[in-house]
Amino acid sequence: MKRRGFIALLGALSLGGAAALWRNLVSFGRPHSSAHIAETVKAVTEMMFPGDGLPGATELGIHDRIIAMTSLQALMADGVVWLDARAVRQGTPNFLALDEVGKQAAIEEAFKSSDNAAREFVRTIRFHAGLAYYSEPVVEAAFPYTGPPQPEGFADFQNPPE
Amino acid sequence: MTNDANWDVVIVGAGAGGAAAAYGLCQQGVSVLLLDAGPQFDPTTDYPLTGSDWDTRDFPEKAGSVGAVTFAPGQKLIGDEPLLVSGSRGLGRLVTDGTRLMEKYKHVRGIGGTTLHFTGESHRIHPDAMKMKTRFGVGADWPIDYAELEPFYMRAEELIGVAGPQTQGARWRSRGFPLPPHPLSYAAQTLGRGAAALGLDWQANSRAALSLPRNGRPSCNYCGACNKGCPRGDKGSADVTFVAAALATGRCIVRPDSPVLRIEAGTNDRVAAVLVGRPDGSIERIVSPTLILACGAVETPRLLLASDGLANESGEVGRNFMDTLGVIVGAMHPEPQHGRRGLPDDAICWDYNAPDAVPGVIGGCRFYNACGESELKGLAGFALRAAEGWGRAHAQSVRHLWGHALSVGALGEKLPNRNSQVRLDPDKHDRFGIPLARISSWLDESDLARLRFMAAKSRELLAASGAADIFESYSSWDWFGATHVFGTCRMGADPATSVIDADGRSHRWHNLWIADASVFPSSGGGEAPSLTIHALSLRTAEKIRKAG
Repeated sequence: MKRRGFIALLGALSLGGAAALWRNLVSFGRPHSSAHIAETVKAVTEMMFPGDGLPGATELGIHDRIIAMTSLQALMADGVVWLDARAVRQGTPNFLALDEVGKQAAIEEAFKSSDNAAREFVRTIRFHAGLAYYSEPVVEAAFPYTGPPQPEGFADFQNPPE
Repeated sequence: MTNDANWDVVIVGAGAGGAAAAYGLCQQGVSVLLLDAGPQFDPTTDYPLTGSDWDTRDFPEKAGSVGAVTFAPGQKLIGDEPLLVSGSRGLGRLVTDGTRLMEKYKHVRGIGGTTLHFTGESHRIHPDAMKMKTRFGVGADWPIDYAELEPFYMRAEELIGVAGPQTQGARWRSRGFPLPPHPLSYAAQTLGRGAAALGLDWQANSRAALSLPRNGRPSCNYCGACNKGCPRGDKGSADVTFVAAALATGRCIVRPDSPVLRIEAGTNDRVAAVLVGRPDGSIERIVSPTLILACGAVETPRLLLASDGLANESGEVGRNFMDTLGVIVGAMHPEPQHGRRGLPDDAICWDYNAPDAVPGVIGGCRFYNACGESELKGLAGFALRAAEGWGRAHAQSVRHLWGHALSVGALGEKLPNRNSQVRLDPDKHDRFGIPLARISSWLDESDLARLRFMAAKSRELLAASGAADIFESYSSWDWFGATHVFGTCRMGADPATSVIDADGRSHRWHNLWIADASVFPSSGGGEAPSLTIHALSLRTAEKIRKAG
């Protein structure tokens, strides 16, 4: 093992095994429009990375980048089906109709679900949205020691961080 | 060396081995054609490391810089190995299907080869690790000893400008390191206090990074990003050291983007030429008065096997494949460390490096400060891996924990076994129709025992340093992602059990030599191999010159 590529590796896993499987299993009968899927993905992204004092992920347009990822289309569609089906079982028309507490509970359940589509949907959104969100200059600027390695390097490398 | 070609020697592969061989030959008045399948990188444009997206980029991939390989199915994971399971608090378990993940062979094609993205540890192999069979009854012996290599280690270190401490235990030296050691980073100092509490010797690592300006190259500015490519040229990758020095002699021609597809056998047990693929898909024949293969422990056996099994009289080409066992453990320290600052792997513990130093198992290992190598340098990777969950609680965790991570790594010996090998893939080919290399890697019980020790000791070191809250751990048990690979064209005295002789020459083919880590009979106890490859290649260059 040499110790690089964690981010690339895990991204590939998110995109790979799961997405390929679902494409085969549920390539038919997705009931939702792309607009509904996009709204739901936006809502999930907002719940996951709300900002907490910084601009949130949707404010930075992160959800649009995820929605535009063609390799995630099937995964997103299937995830939205799962979230909406859960909402219907609880007496609401769909995930978007839930209040914040309800949305939070639905996402929590998706992470713990034995349903591949649900689990991999939220894991994948977390991965891609988190990667993009914490790479945003406005977010990084709120944290010390996040700038590029060059040209300065770290003259203080021997000392306690400032 | 008179011939019809415009060069005396053709070298295939411009990485650690080929570049050093080229330099060694040119310095002796021999002319060289240095071929590489990959491109020429330009550090200032290919990896400037000044962009805001630096943390989501790995070492760049350019056309031809990544060679495709395939993998045999991964080993079934048997039993409960809580110390060895790969995964993180934020992303969960890496492998969930019960099979070792064969992820990647991390190899760079290009002028400079894999040294372009190496960390730049510069290690001599432990002398006892060269005598595994006679001393410890496992693996194979090198047909040469440490004393034979020592002068060539010195030459390589001088050219690179290796910075290191006064002594390194069993690795005796005829002279000191060319440059003083790098000061330890703050995170390495924290780990050093933990090591002291455990009675471990924690010292400055020897590094192919300049601690003082040298030969027109600047000293390191401790940016911590060696693995993404060094835009300054202070890291001693082969392009800025051996290749540059070879070119300066005026006797070296370097040709990137020139994959060698096949070796053409000649008469009288001599090879005649190599066939080289051109970017337009045509094939060029290049006469090779003397041929050195330096493509690494995967591509060198592939090339020989794809050349009708050339030099495989022993049947050992592609066998004895050894990857390096690795563990990385990350934990939170109560105080901020910001361990991305400083030279990666700047501190090391050699206490368990000797082949008999790990209790209960033969084969050594070493421990090091892995803060710079754990890919937690950037905020995004940290947020995803180190902080659990999502939402506001996650945001608060990231804010609270950022900079607190400490990582300890361990690399260890992998003993050869008959299940670990490189063969030709029967189905997959490159664009020239040459079969791809197919890697099989198998861990024996002794490897697992060594891994368990490495993982346990890494955790112990972190805890003693004040970082007991472990948030991630990765190991070779369930994840193959090797850079350091060895053994597939083993050197040895016996033609029946080895591919090349003690000088680096094929037992049969008089003008065929190998100069890369495929010749290592043993991997060592976790040492980075580049310096030993350099030394062996300089020695082989001398043998070639003497052979005429």
